[in-house]
Amino acid sequence: MKSRFIRKILGGLSFTSALFVFQACYGTPQDFGNDLFVEGQVKAKISGLPIKGIKVSVADNLQYVTTDEDGKFSFYTEMIQHLALKFQDTDSTLNGLYAGKDTVLADVTENVYLDIILEEK
Amino acid sequence: MISSLKRVAFRKFRESEVQLHELNYLFWECTTRCNLNCRHCGSDCSKDYSYPDMPVDDFLAAVDTIKERPENFTVVFTGGEPLLRKDLESCGRALRKRGLRWSLVTNGHLYDEQRHISLLNAGLGALTISLDGLEASHNWLRNNDKSFTKVIHAIELAASSGRLSFDVVTCVNQKNISELAQIRDLLVSANVKSWRLFTIIPIGRAAGDQELQLTDDQFAELMDFIALQRKGKQIDVKFSCEGYVGKYEPLVRDSYFFCRAGINIGSVLIDGSISACPNIDRSFTQGNIYRDNLYEVWLNKFLPFRNREWTKKGKCASCKDYKDCWGNGFHNWHGDMNDVLVCHKEKIEHAVKNQH
Repeated sequence: MKSRFIRKILGGLSFTSALFVFQACYGTPQDFGNDLFVEGQVKAKISGLPIKGIKVSVADNLQYVTTDEDGKFSFYTEMIQHLALKFQDTDSTLNGLYAGKDTVLADVTENVYLDIILEEK
Repeated sequence: MISSLKRVAFRKFRESEVQLHELNYLFWECTTRCNLNCRHCGSDCSKDYSYPDMPVDDFLAAVDTIKERPENFTVVFTGGEPLLRKDLESCGRALRKRGLRWSLVTNGHLYDEQRHISLLNAGLGALTISLDGLEASHNWLRNNDKSFTKVIHAIELAASSGRLSFDVVTCVNQKNISELAQIRDLLVSANVKSWRLFTIIPIGRAAGDQELQLTDDQFAELMDFIALQRKGKQIDVKFSCEGYVGKYEPLVRDSYFFCRAGINIGSVLIDGSISACPNIDRSFTQGNIYRDNLYEVWLNKFLPFRNREWTKKGKCASCKDYKDCWGNGFHNWHGDMNDVLVCHKEKIEHAVKNQH
């Protein structure tokens, strides 16, 4: 603990706070961890059954995942306020037909769990 | 006066880092397979296809030995070309479940939209992509006529992500040194925020290829270029931490030269060897994850990295800058270790003499 304190003092005196955020010669920059983990499950409103193949995408972003056999999904994405997610049935009648849904996460924390219900068409 | 005080404080800081010996940065040489056949290969990695890719579980078991992980601890996937592995994402997710961050160094050839998305979904946090010139010079170094087009697409994808800490690296050589301003403009137009410049160490395939090495005058020209760019705001340009650059030290980086290999940086290499940066001579291996506990090796070994007095020979023996340089980047000690392979400060001094 003491040595870490001394390190901070010396780093500050040499005006080299960047030293705490170094990267190796052939390595990558430091990751500042600015993301959150989103997971959840998508179910049908009437049957209550999980829905496979629903596209879960992040608005204004290339990222998406597709729900698995259990209607489950998970991904990491950029931590932004009012994160907007879209749930879309993109496989036509393959796993049933469902209306899409948009969700905005008002209070974004490091881990988010979502239960999503889609209406049958 | 202030500059001298900063130097003294920095030297003390560096000593405290050696004492702390905190493992902040762990390379994983996850494959030595590669999809390119670059002219400079062997200068920064061991290209040996005889080793199979290390199983993810073997690597994770080694990571799990690390009992004290600093907040900014990062695993960096390197190779070979890491994207040849299909299981990077599952390894990345397993690391994130453990509360760890991970990042990736790639040549960009396989970095298409689908892979970009799947890597982000798996919690990729930082990324480095190599661009080694305008189209002709990049493809020349990479020995592939499609590489430039693919890497530009990869760079555009990476730069479009608000999530990634991302930079582009360029190995400066005879073919591309006259293109640096154009490369900068290209990167700025692709919305790249950070650009790191390297030279090529004369080892491996690069050892006998004069076109890959900068002359002393060209090296000084590179330093001047970086120093000038750092006065602007368009893009963060820096020289890599490959070596001590004397009078240019305060001008080409965010902080003074400090080779942290084996001080804060470790690696698990393709055969399980435990070392520091993957481009370091393999004779410095400190253990093997298949025999030893990674964290115990980190805590109890790494002595040649933590005490560099042994590098005080050859050019370094009588150098007045030794206390700031400590024998240059550790990867500059290869083969018989009788002398440092490259002295960047000497190159600059020669260039100054040439000017007079």
